[in-house]
Amino acid sequence: MSELDTAGNGLRLYRSMVIIREVELHIERLHRAGRMAGSFHSSVGQEAAAVGVCEVLRPDDLVSSTHRGHGHALAKGVTVGGLLAELFGLANGVSGGRGGSMHLHHPDSGFLGQNAIVAGGMPWAAGAAWGARQQGRDIIGVSFFGDGAASQGLFYETLRLAKLWNSPCLFVCENNGLAHSMPAERLFGDPGTHCRLVAEHGIKAEVVDGSDVLSVYKVAHSLVGYVRTGYPAFLEVTVGRARAHSLNDPEYEYRDRDSGKNWLEENDPISSLRKGLPDLSEEFDQIDLEVSTLISHETTRVESGDINQANDALRDVYTVDSGVRND
Amino acid sequence: MHFVTYTQSTLVYVMTELKYAEAVRAALRAELATDERVVVLGQEVGALGGVFTTTKGLQREFGPERVLDTPISEAAIAGWAVGAAMAGMRPVVEIMFMDFVMLAMDQIVNGAAKLRYMSNGQLSVPLVVRMPAGAGTRHGPQHSQQLESWFAHVPGLIVAMPSRAVDVYTMLRQAIRSDDPVVFVESKYLYFRESGEIDESVLPELPVTQTARVVREGTDLTVVTAGRMVQRVVEAARDLHESDGIACEIIDLRYLWPLDTGAIARSVARTSKLAVVHEAVQTFGWGGEIASWVAEYCLADLDGPIVRIGSQRAPVPFAEVLENAVVPTEALIKEKLRELATY
Ligand SMILES: Cc1ncc(C[n+]2csc(CCOP(=O)(O)OP(=O)(O)O)c2C)c(N)n1
Ligand SMILES: [Mg+2]
Repeated sequence: MSELDTAGNGLRLYRSMVIIREVELHIERLHRAGRMAGSFHSSVGQEAAAVGVCEVLRPDDLVSSTHRGHGHALAKGVTVGGLLAELFGLANGVSGGRGGSMHLHHPDSGFLGQNAIVAGGMPWAAGAAWGARQQGRDIIGVSFFGDGAASQGLFYETLRLAKLWNSPCLFVCENNGLAHSMPAERLFGDPGTHCRLVAEHGIKAEVVDGSDVLSVYKVAHSLVGYVRTGYPAFLEVTVGRARAHSLNDPEYEYRDRDSGKNWLEENDPISSLRKGLPDLSEEFDQIDLEVSTLISHETTRVESGDINQANDALRDVYTVDSGVRND
Repeated sequence: MHFVTYTQSTLVYVMTELKYAEAVRAALRAELATDERVVVLGQEVGALGGVFTTTKGLQREFGPERVLDTPISEAAIAGWAVGAAMAGMRPVVEIMFMDFVMLAMDQIVNGAAKLRYMSNGQLSVPLVVRMPAGAGTRHGPQHSQQLESWFAHVPGLIVAMPSRAVDVYTMLRQAIRSDDPVVFVESKYLYFRESGEIDESVLPELPVTQTARVVREGTDLTVVTAGRMVQRVVEAARDLHESDGIACEIIDLRYLWPLDTGAIARSVARTSKLAVVHEAVQTFGWGGEIASWVAEYCLADLDGPIVRIGSQRAPVPFAEVLENAVVPTEALIKEKLRELATY
């Protein structure tokens, strides 16, 4: 058994995935119950990408994310309470209730933030990692993005620049085969994996099965080690999106009604991990219990938290308040 | 605006007569020497020194790690600089012509401008985007636009638009020290036509409070302007004074944001008349904002219609005779100001 296969790792990965899964399901219920508002892009089914990568990172490594980014935030260290409070629009949210589901930022956790513009977060992570190196800080950047990002010019621009300037940045493409509701083959024809395209640019690139978190963790571990030596790398994680693009999206014009659910039944990274480590089932059950307690406790705690004050709405537009008000 | 603390650099300062373009370079050089977190990024800003020589010699002096030749990827460069700024750097990005900034717009507007706010004050983006703008150099429609009104519309951005070399020097140094993102609109027409004596030993005043400058005092009417048009207005005003005895008060805004409404109001209270002159297209241009602000808050002071003088609603054409029919000329400015003065 290698160092990467220890039971401790399995439990850590499991806990982190379950937190994301249960938080996402919880958010779904809160929306349906009318207790939460706004858009919501669920990452149910994709947990292994966020967890497998972030478990390899150090607290001060800098991560950028996407509209589908709750998992990245949680895996990087944003607290359940901080995230839920943000989604409730409360002042004690990680972004003070100013960002909501698609604009979470928490630099103290090394979470530069989500960028809800497709591909927009790629240069943030690459530039931040490069900038940190310029200042002699030994950290790396990680950019999470979906396969849809590969249709943006910024995708290629950033990868080429990262290669040219040796940015220590890991680019993580969560390939769920869908962009919004559109299946990949209707967007790209048959592109094969993005990994191959990126490798053609001379960037170290690998593809890994996102239903197997231990594999993601192992590949991420090796790529992150390589990135720390001062180069960019690309990791494509094939994942399945169990839910529609966003909550209430009528995606079934584009794919079969049950395809997400079916994918999850056969490929769920969480139950696969359980199956692979049968000796730990008691510990896994214990984690399930702890997570569920944590979530309900945190929900109660933050939901009664500070509501935002209207006169705070113009704070932090600039370093110094211009004093300008419409009246 | 808020600025980081200044540390004394080892540069030897001298009083020098510098052209507008040289003032850009001097300011960059001073800040590169002062603060290691400052980096300059842009297309051919290295050996070539940028197409307008504003960065000439800087790469030789500070090395290719501080002055970086970039690929032709405006969007990625802007996003990269936003990321680097979040990680504590102070990047200065040169967009070769302001017309190319559209490619970088998303990162400036959705990223740089909003990150402090979206993150509830957790993040800062101390970024400067420098852009040579405007007509007068025969570069044609995709290389001559004056687009500062767009940026002035975006909460979170500072918009600087210097009209003379002395201001270029101070304002650019201030911009680099600002913890807010600054859009720095330079006049490529003025690069080699405007110069001034710059005292490099005098540090820019921090923070900037009164952003506008009264260029010329007068009692008959107020002209609010900025950038390259300042020179034209000054010449028009001089002529009007000699020929008709009209005394124009000229205000060079220097910044569209923060907007020095106090300076405008004080002047209009004295003169009772207002004209706004800018090179940006007149319709929906920033002159409309100044005009409506004055109409809203200083109506009782006004004794005449507010006059806007901006470019015609057309691309900037190549042929000189056509360009002069689009961009406000000194003759047009003179005529309109005379009309207002005698209203
Ligand atoms: C520049 C831009 N265009 C369009 C959108 C609307 N939009 C939001 S998510 C999305 C699809 C993204 O697909 P992908 O990158 O594969 O991420 P996934 O949703 O599959 O996780 C689109 C088109 C956007 N947010 N940004
Ligand atoms: Mg996708």
